[in-house]
Amino acid sequence: RLEASGSHRSRPSSVLCVMHLEYKDIRNTVGNIPVEWYKDFPHIGYNLDGKKIYKPIRNKDELDDFLDKMENPEYWRTVHDKQTGSDIVLSDDQVELVNRLQRGQFGDVNFNEYEPMVEFFSSDVMIHPITNRPADKRSFIPSLTEKEKVSKLVHAIKMGWLKPRRVEDDGRGRYYDLWASEDSSILARHRMHLPAPKIPLPGHHESYNPPPEYLFTDEENCIQTHPPLWEQQDPGDRKLPFVPRKYSSLRQVPAFSHFIHERFERCLDLYLCPRQRKMRVNVNPEDLIPQLPKPKDLQPFPTTQSLVYRGHSGLVRSISVSPSGQWLASGSDDGSVRFWEVCSSRCMKMVQVGGAVKSVAWNPNPSVCLLAVVILSSERLLSAQQEGEEPAEGNGSVVWSEAEGEELNQGVRLKIQHPKAVHQVVWHAKGDYLASVMPDNTSHLQVYIHQLSRRRSQNPFSRNKGLVQCVSFHPIRPYFFVATQRSIRIYNLVKQEMTKKLQANSKWISSMAVHPGGDHVICGSYDCKLSWFDLDLSTKPYKMLRHHKKAVRGVAYHRLYPLFASASDDGSVIVCHGTVYNDLLQNPLIVPVKVLRGHVMTHDLGVLDVTFHPTQPWVFSSGADATIRLFT
Amino acid sequence: MSQIQARFFTEDKRYVVDDVPFSIPAASEVQELSNVINKLLEAKNASHSKVEFDFLVRGQFLRTSLSAHMETESILTEEVVEIEYVERITAPEPEECMMHDDWISSADADAEWILTGSYDKTARIWSTEGKPVMTVPGHTDVVKDVAWVKREGLTSLLLTASLDQTVLLWEWNSERNKVEARHCCRGHAGSVDTISVDPTGTKFCSGSWDKMLKIWSAVPTDEQDEIEEPADRPRKKQKTQQLGLTRTPLMTLSGHSEAVSSVLWCDSEEVCSASWDHTIRIWDVDTGGMKTTLTGSKVFNCISYSPLCRRLASGSTDRHIRLWDPRTKDGSLVLLSLTSHTGWVTAVKWAPSHEHQLVSGSLDNLIKLWDTRSCKAPLYDLAAHEDKVFCVDWTESGLMLSGGADNKLYTYRYSAQQAEA
Repeated sequence: RLEASGSHRSRPSSVLCVMHLEYKDIRNTVGNIPVEWYKDFPHIGYNLDGKKIYKPIRNKDELDDFLDKMENPEYWRTVHDKQTGSDIVLSDDQVELVNRLQRGQFGDVNFNEYEPMVEFFSSDVMIHPITNRPADKRSFIPSLTEKEKVSKLVHAIKMGWLKPRRVEDDGRGRYYDLWASEDSSILARHRMHLPAPKIPLPGHHESYNPPPEYLFTDEENCIQTHPPLWEQQDPGDRKLPFVPRKYSSLRQVPAFSHFIHERFERCLDLYLCPRQRKMRVNVNPEDLIPQLPKPKDLQPFPTTQSLVYRGHSGLVRSISVSPSGQWLASGSDDGSVRFWEVCSSRCMKMVQVGGAVKSVAWNPNPSVCLLAVVILSSERLLSAQQEGEEPAEGNGSVVWSEAEGEELNQGVRLKIQHPKAVHQVVWHAKGDYLASVMPDNTSHLQVYIHQLSRRRSQNPFSRNKGLVQCVSFHPIRPYFFVATQRSIRIYNLVKQEMTKKLQANSKWISSMAVHPGGDHVICGSYDCKLSWFDLDLSTKPYKMLRHHKKAVRGVAYHRLYPLFASASDDGSVIVCHGTVYNDLLQNPLIVPVKVLRGHVMTHDLGVLDVTFHPTQPWVFSSGADATIRLFT
Repeated sequence: MSQIQARFFTEDKRYVVDDVPFSIPAASEVQELSNVINKLLEAKNASHSKVEFDFLVRGQFLRTSLSAHMETESILTEEVVEIEYVERITAPEPEECMMHDDWISSADADAEWILTGSYDKTARIWSTEGKPVMTVPGHTDVVKDVAWVKREGLTSLLLTASLDQTVLLWEWNSERNKVEARHCCRGHAGSVDTISVDPTGTKFCSGSWDKMLKIWSAVPTDEQDEIEEPADRPRKKQKTQQLGLTRTPLMTLSGHSEAVSSVLWCDSEEVCSASWDHTIRIWDVDTGGMKTTLTGSKVFNCISYSPLCRRLASGSTDRHIRLWDPRTKDGSLVLLSLTSHTGWVTAVKWAPSHEHQLVSGSLDNLIKLWDTRSCKAPLYDLAAHEDKVFCVDWTESGLMLSGGADNKLYTYRYSAQQAEA
């Protein structure tokens, strides 16, 4: 039960007042004073006209009150207004309001106390100030009142009326350093105090009388099996280092008798095991990042997708650009080789070769127009203008044959049949030699070098050094790069010996490219890494780039610009800037400059091959979505 | 500030208003200003019918509100602003659509006939009404560029350049509708991508993928030029039946380090060429020497020269159209760049009769009509093509055409009254 207080300040009670006003204005004008002051008077205050308001005749005694309580159903909502002395029956709304206030809620039903907060003032420093009002003029002028005050004080000091506060000059005052004369070595020990490592606070498991949910269930305990599961488990695998058990009193815990002993052991541990303070070096993480030039300053490099070459129906395994930069050849799993005009994305010629095309390579000699094509189970030599190609089959050794009839009309000029499936073909920079790779772990017949002018093939290696992934010729010197699963070997073809072995630090090399200067090699691997080797520096990678999310499928250098690119199964091509300096003391500058996306992921494969335009800073990429894309 | 003092003037005699300053609301836009001018003209001349106007403030088209424009151009609002007004250029009206069998690589139109080159190895002649007149087969590979040489009565001379490294000079009789190959111009060692006929119609210049420019005579004769044959070259190739008499170049201009993508004659003695080596070079045909080099930063796909405003417009692979002044010596000064395309700009052409208008086509399937006085945005986008656009052209008779990889050649009629003004 709540008695309405005398004050009418809150909004709901003013509603109540209005209700009174409707029939009779008996507002009391005495204000918010204790009602007891009018205890001895017949009236309880004055109305608006200054007339006395008399107390209502109250002849109810305790009995009447009790009867009223028993019989009147409205009794519980009747309150006594002390200021007017009358009884008021509260309406439903008022009762609800009282209940809300009692529950600590807001009086207004419609007020939402959980409205989202609008942060007018945040920690962010905004570029626009909250007020842009210029500073007042008065903040620039010395205050006159202050000047007056100060001059009064100065005058008082001059006249000797005002004396500065006396400095208490007692050497041994109330406070002094107790340990000032203490031995410094003792103090140093205090300062270097190392707190003992904290042991974790005991939980419910450790209780002598744990709640039943902390005890092991029968399954966990495996009472049936002997010994119990907990004992079978390796100490490292156990959920708890002990088995919680229930005891009726602390005294019965078996460890109780060992308690003192255990504490002593711990103290002994702390005492005998010297602890050492480790100084942590505070390094700003920003300082650890090397200073690299901004990609914007390293223009030109490809930034946007310009053309899409559509037409293939299978995934495009390999692409190659003609040395003039006018034509693009692509080999696809749909068994066709297509020739595209670079500037218009027009497919100018399609040759059906009858087998998935694994690799295409354009002869780098600009005076002849030849394209080497690897067809699964056969390799060919295509000449463009009209083109020629090269397949491989049979056993034992390599068979050369001239193309005839229908194939000649299609542009096929030469076929080189290999004993095993060929995976890659590369040309020497002069364009007379080409090398083909037949990965096979069991035989030494993995690489063939063919000479075109003499129609001769030879196997340069007599021993099997691991599964060959790809090969490459040195652009200037008579070196030959062979990438196996884990390493890259460099052979001198004139001296017929191995000169270097590069450790790639990756699990499985997928692709390799040699810098046009010949002193640097990049190789991509199936474990998402791209390694840059500086041949003059070390046999270990100079730099590892781990920007790709999935296996790297292809890498390429630009012939003229300091650019290289890597293609990956995550559907992106990453173009990096890689300046190589003539000065041997200066390491190459490698800056990733652009991620090029566009290829659609198909069968979990993204971009399969990447190659640069020979003269422009453009990059072509071929993907599993049967398209080739040009980024400029 | 709500009012601006402005004085209106125009070059057009029909729409002259009194040369007095008016006070106009600063927030007024083109439509409101146009209404103002129309009101003034009606007050002067009762028979005036409503005309839409465009407004130029200091040589720039007004596209936003007047106050915003003056703020961006940093023009003082206290003084009286001089506003020029011209009749608004209406949108080009699409006229005809000519279907080809294959991609259209090039188009050249004169007053009566349209000549197109196509990837199906033929050139075609159409009437301007869109009627197919003639197919010119003869090349063994894609026709890359075509050009009219001259017309004398009913016989016309035309040129086709092709990927098969030759340029063919044809004579076409429009009455008998017969075409005859007169000369086969041999000498290039790469695909001939571009040709251009000199203003007199006696010479033409060709640019090729082999980095060379060659000047040839365009006058048909009955003699065959001797071609000096390389000794080691197999004779087999020569046996193939050849159309017309062999012709050799008068002059070879070498200097580009990459493929030549576009050539044109600035005047009768000057050839201008754009190349993939990021340069535009201007050559003197008399001496065979190079006069000027303009260096850009991206591959140039196309250039166009307007004798009216003496500017070169170039379209390049970075989506910009740039305007150059060819008279600057060794300068690479870009006067203006127009940016709105989202793909390579493959074709630009100045209007033959208007010094400010040009049209451009791009790999983003769009044709854009530009006015150099409003360089922020094109006047109109023509989105008729469904594939890459390769060529655009204008005729003086008010026809605009464009062709591309969707095998369609569209013609548009543009407002030619601008030319009369």
